[in-house]
Amino acid sequence: MTHAPSLSPTSAAPTTAAGFFRRFRSAPSEPHFAKRVQFSSPFLPYFFLAPQMAIIFTFFYWPSVQAIQSSFYLEDPFGFGSTFVGISNYTDVLKSTEYLGIARFTAVFTAVVTFFSLAIGLLLAVKADGVIRGNATYKTLLIWVYAIAPPVAGLMGMMLFDQHIGPLVKFVALFGWDMKVGLNYTDTATAMIIVSIWKQIPYNFIFFLSGLQGIPVSVREAALMDCRSGFRRFRTVILPLLAPTAFFLLIINTTYALFDTFGVIDVMVKDKAANNPITLVYKVYMDGFRGNDLGGSSAQSVILMIIVFVLTIFQFRFIERRVHYS
Amino acid sequence: MQRAKLFDHVILLMGVFIMIGPLVVALMTSSHEAADIHRNGLSILPGGHFVETYQTVLTKQGGFTGKITGLRMMMNSLILGLGFAAGKIILSMLAAYALVYFRFRFATITFWMIFTTLLLPLEVRILPSYEVMNTLHLTNTYTGLIVPLLASATGTFYFRQFFKSIPDELLEAARIDGAGPFKFFIDVIVPLSKTMMAAIFIIMFVYGWNQYLWPTLMTTDESFFTLVRGIKQILLVWVGSNIPDYNEAFALAILAMLPPVMIVMIFQRWFIKGLTESDK
Amino acid sequence: MIKNITMTGLALAFSATSSFAATDITWWHGMAGRNGEVINEVAQKFNAAQTACALTPVSKGTYEEALASGIAAFRSGEQPNILQVFDAGAATIINAKGAVIPAEDLITKAGYSFDRNAFIDGVRYFYADSDGKFVGMPFNSSAPIMYINDEALKKAGVEAPKTWEEFEAIAPKLKEAGYIPLVQSQLTWQFTENFFSRNNIQFATNNNGYDSVVDTELKVTDPNLVMMFEKLKSWADQGYFAYYGAGWNDNQKMFEENKAALWIGSSGSFGGLTKTAQMPFSADFLPYWGSINGAGTSSFIGGAALFAMAGKSDAENKCVADFFQFLTSPEIQVFYHEATGYVAITKAAYEMAKKEGYYEKKPAAEVGIKQLMLPAGEWSKGYRLGFYPQIREIMEREYGRIFAGEVSVKDAFDTIEKEGNELLARFAKTAG
Repeated sequence: MTHAPSLSPTSAAPTTAAGFFRRFRSAPSEPHFAKRVQFSSPFLPYFFLAPQMAIIFTFFYWPSVQAIQSSFYLEDPFGFGSTFVGISNYTDVLKSTEYLGIARFTAVFTAVVTFFSLAIGLLLAVKADGVIRGNATYKTLLIWVYAIAPPVAGLMGMMLFDQHIGPLVKFVALFGWDMKVGLNYTDTATAMIIVSIWKQIPYNFIFFLSGLQGIPVSVREAALMDCRSGFRRFRTVILPLLAPTAFFLLIINTTYALFDTFGVIDVMVKDKAANNPITLVYKVYMDGFRGNDLGGSSAQSVILMIIVFVLTIFQFRFIERRVHYS
Repeated sequence: MQRAKLFDHVILLMGVFIMIGPLVVALMTSSHEAADIHRNGLSILPGGHFVETYQTVLTKQGGFTGKITGLRMMMNSLILGLGFAAGKIILSMLAAYALVYFRFRFATITFWMIFTTLLLPLEVRILPSYEVMNTLHLTNTYTGLIVPLLASATGTFYFRQFFKSIPDELLEAARIDGAGPFKFFIDVIVPLSKTMMAAIFIIMFVYGWNQYLWPTLMTTDESFFTLVRGIKQILLVWVGSNIPDYNEAFALAILAMLPPVMIVMIFQRWFIKGLTESDK
Repeated sequence: MIKNITMTGLALAFSATSSFAATDITWWHGMAGRNGEVINEVAQKFNAAQTACALTPVSKGTYEEALASGIAAFRSGEQPNILQVFDAGAATIINAKGAVIPAEDLITKAGYSFDRNAFIDGVRYFYADSDGKFVGMPFNSSAPIMYINDEALKKAGVEAPKTWEEFEAIAPKLKEAGYIPLVQSQLTWQFTENFFSRNNIQFATNNNGYDSVVDTELKVTDPNLVMMFEKLKSWADQGYFAYYGAGWNDNQKMFEENKAALWIGSSGSFGGLTKTAQMPFSADFLPYWGSINGAGTSSFIGGAALFAMAGKSDAENKCVADFFQFLTSPEIQVFYHEATGYVAITKAAYEMAKKEGYYEKKPAAEVGIKQLMLPAGEWSKGYRLGFYPQIREIMEREYGRIFAGEVSVKDAFDTIEKEGNELLARFAKTAG
């Protein structure tokens, strides 16, 4: 029970079958993490969960187990030959200094992208929620960008940062920065981070905005009376109420930066990683999808999964404690 | 106070500029010739080929069978987007409801089992997933395109966060009124979740709308081509032998934004009213 | 929406029944844009030319996505009849014994005669086994060639180089005339793999990997290759060569904009260059080292080949053979050559295009073929190396470091050889 303080403990299972529809129990021992009142029913929760679980088992666990299995083999992709190699796919990866370098970059990349896309998304959402004039227009315009097709977003990123004719490269050249995306490690990393953040801002904006809209008017009015300072009002009243959304977004943005940025990276390095920075998932993609090394890439996926899992448990343990629900 | 308001507008305008600027550039660039775009890159001024480019994009019959038109691709993307968003909301609301409002033996483990799906993206397990789809004979079907994408925890996790922040008093009051789990869900939870549903609908619609790799792998029939696949097709030209029709790619991208924008417009009203309505 | 789905179903049913008399075969490929359209046209021509078979080409995204789709499909028994596989992926599919039927066997079994000598030399071996039997059918082929900025050479008053020694001699004059003397677009394909072919040097043990996967090792610490890169690095330091990263277009751009004098590109690049280059240009062979004994041989082909997947009925295999036969006919080869810029793969097609006067209109189109028709050396036939996409990535990474001044050329090649050999050893185990 150490890793999921947010849910009711298993010991609190229903004791009787009687009154299974309208039965309420309370668990005052867990003030912030669980509902004080809950329904209790032997089969109804399973009924609600069934569709989701069925899909997850068929389309996630079934293929995932196969992927994990192949991490212990070196296998001809067409399925003709395979050699059981134990954990050597794992040791090969972990003792490679290149892999560790990629891991370091991934950590920095994830932290920076997560922080800035959350911060900017939140700032814009709070401001858009606050202003009265032009409120709807701002919202629509800011949400719009999310709809742009990923290959085109990538193409634009590439063209904006083009070594020879990119407008942004020309712009920073005015300040004496000779930016060479695709050639210089730091410059490429910068461009990747900027494009990744840019793509994710609308996502965070939408959820933060919906979170803000979810705060009852009465609460806001009361807050407005209590403290005049906008920033303090935000910090002491609004932010705690937004915390559940923020926690959700923290987790989602971490996985975004880790997993979903590989399209951006592929475009920014022009399909050739060379000596440019890449993330762990891009490495999985290069080895597995492009290089057909099923065993090696599966081992990398499992390593990645373990890292993210540990990170997530950590986040649940230490950050969700501070999140006050209701 | 007045100065603060002005400052807010400045921040928002900057945000809009950073976010929308590239889109305007895309629109302008789409009206230039492909070779021009290749040479000079993006453009902030309109070129002279606006009408012809968009006409080509909308009417050109592509592919071997000639079945790939702009309209057809748009319809497929729409089916994917709507199907995915609707499916996601239904599944994840039900699951999150069970997780938050019920006390049952396997709650913790169930939550983590669902949550784990966030940790291994589809790209990584795509080959075995394909094999599963083939075993179930779901290739070349809309079901096969939509349902496997639903195996992810985003929605469930989001609704769980939201449900947990709904005041307990509501359930207590409902209990006093004698409401059962179904009635409470329909009468209280669903109306309360309007803003959240709108947010997740927009996000998920766009996600489904923009799918590329999975449809490419899953379908061999050209009548399943989506818009994003059409755009990719234009851009994936073997290095050097031809210049990609950048103008058409940009034009398709602009057209591809219209339906999601419409979805945003539709749900905009929910966004503005949102919970405030039921807060009377 | 439901109505639409039903209509799709009807359309499917209809298209399935309309061609029921013919044997259906499918062809998965990784081409898009204009090149993808040409594939559709080729398939339409085939279907129009006969009635026994109906060929449907399906675009599966990029080369990598097409191969991955093919692999996934094969594992569940849903493979297409024909799969297009790119050069670096050739080892993966050819070493999977039983995944494909060698093209030559397929064609002879269908009752056609197969003449290896009908193909131009540079094309003949790359997708063949060590005995020279065609496993894959070469389809879209290209060669790395040198493009020449005529204006720049005239200004500097020099002739285009045939060898790197000649280049060294003219580079200062080109620089003086205000040009970057040399740019390239892919160090792996142009300056590594084809360094071995043009200079006739062994690339890897086990006959460049053709004989066996077991104990195959790279020979990239070859002193000549190290010398080539030391030259490139010192040329870069002196301003005779410029490197803009591993991206193809970032490098090509300097040539298009009339800033570079010579560019090593692909034989297929002339079509795009005609539209983008701001000056008159011509083309010639990829230079070699005059000082290396036996150098000046033909280059390896780039591009991709078509593979006939195993596990299909005899009737379908017969259709695939028919199609391969159709594809190698001079008319189709010339059509494909002229529509895409890829080289023609048979001698007859080359003669035909020549007779038509195509090369008088587009002289650059002939350079690639002529380079592939140069006499073959012992080591210019090809290479068969497992996990080669990953090996290329290691090379690209180390080359980037060389030009960033982070590693010495010698150290870079030591790293490439060490990590490359580890990958080759791993690959050998996948066949186990």
